[in-house]
Amino acid sequence: MRDTARRPSGPARLTGPALAAAAAGLLVAAAAPAVYAEESAAPAGPLHGATAGKPAGSLELHPDMVVAGAQVTVNTAACGDDDTVAGDATAVGAGRFTLAPGSDEPDSTGRFRVPPGAQPGTYEIVATCDAGGQRVTGDLVVRLTPAAQQMYPRGSVKTGVGGALGPDPVQTAAGVTALAVAAAGGTWLLHRRARGDGI
Amino acid sequence: MRRTRRGSGRAGSPGDTVIGSVSVCALCCGLWLLVGGAATHAPPQPSAAQAHSASAEDGAGRGSGRPPGRAFALPPSPPDRIRIPAIGVDAPLTGLGLTGTGSLDVPPPGRANLAGWYEAGTTPGETGTAIVAGHVDNAEGPAVFYSLGALRKGGTVEVDRRDGTVAVFTVHAVEVYDARDFPDGKVYGAAGRPELRIITCGGDYSRTTGYRGNVVVYAHLTGSR
Repeated sequence: MRDTARRPSGPARLTGPALAAAAAGLLVAAAAPAVYAEESAAPAGPLHGATAGKPAGSLELHPDMVVAGAQVTVNTAACGDDDTVAGDATAVGAGRFTLAPGSDEPDSTGRFRVPPGAQPGTYEIVATCDAGGQRVTGDLVVRLTPAAQQMYPRGSVKTGVGGALGPDPVQTAAGVTALAVAAAGGTWLLHRRARGDGI
Repeated sequence: MRRTRRGSGRAGSPGDTVIGSVSVCALCCGLWLLVGGAATHAPPQPSAAQAHSASAEDGAGRGSGRPPGRAFALPPSPPDRIRIPAIGVDAPLTGLGLTGTGSLDVPPPGRANLAGWYEAGTTPGETGTAIVAGHVDNAEGPAVFYSLGALRKGGTVEVDRRDGTVAVFTVHAVEVYDARDFPDGKVYGAAGRPELRIITCGGDYSRTTGYRGNVVVYAHLTGSR
């Protein structure tokens, strides 16, 4: 999963195996519903999520900030190893999709494409474990323009008012106190000397 | 009698000596504190040596080459925190937009240790130019990027991202610009590799118009973890 995140070309390279796994997952799910029903009785789903070292309730989107028309890869470790996951991207208008377990990792992976007409905003993408029934969500941010066409700021930035330039109030107060002590001491000594001379 | 008293007064009252010493000491300290406290505390400004050099490093910013030390771009993920160990910066990041005139908005000045990033732009670590801005000072005194102008080439900037990764940038230039002659393209323009700009106020200060320019730190991605 991390690997996918770190390599921009990851999803493209994964297409073959992921599709195969997705197809296999669907076939297995269709052929053996009884097996999955049995498994769902045991708390296997949440445990698998926990052992994967991630919060069981997370749905990871790569990328999670896109422009309309972009493809998004979805990962979750919330479901069991062999569990098929139903993805729901209807919020952003991309319909439903299926997440299937990867060939050599516990995460389930799926993909959908954000429709070209999607409006900018934040959309909730939902995935539900077929067998375990857990529901996990993730936020997808759709931006107006791709990075290449984005609005750039102009001009200088007003990030200071000169507050650091004036006298330091603490230091000034300390200085005044020190001078007061000096004045008191000096007065005392002068007073002593005056009295001593007088006797 | 008088002689005795005087003698004992000089030699036999260590209290007077102590009080005398303390008074002299306090006088000196007080003067030093007052003079120092009243002096201006202008934030440090970058020297000409920290400006862009004409090396390959500079051209690489436009995607022309593949310099050593360049790291693979990270997928987009919003930043949460910025750390600059060399100048003791460790601050959370808030999202920034644009003002009505198209300039970059700034974080609320009330919170001294808060920086911001340009939310509609590139996220730090992905290919392009990510922009971070923060105050050099506020009405109370120095703020998050007070020492930004003291940052030097080769310094490290770390950005914590929401996907759990830490983008590590290396500074390749620190420059100061007058606000009337601000190089928009150079500071905000697109880049062919993951770059970061850190902006704060700087330059001359005038009582009427405030700081007259900006200090800009240029950094590029050199690693992640």
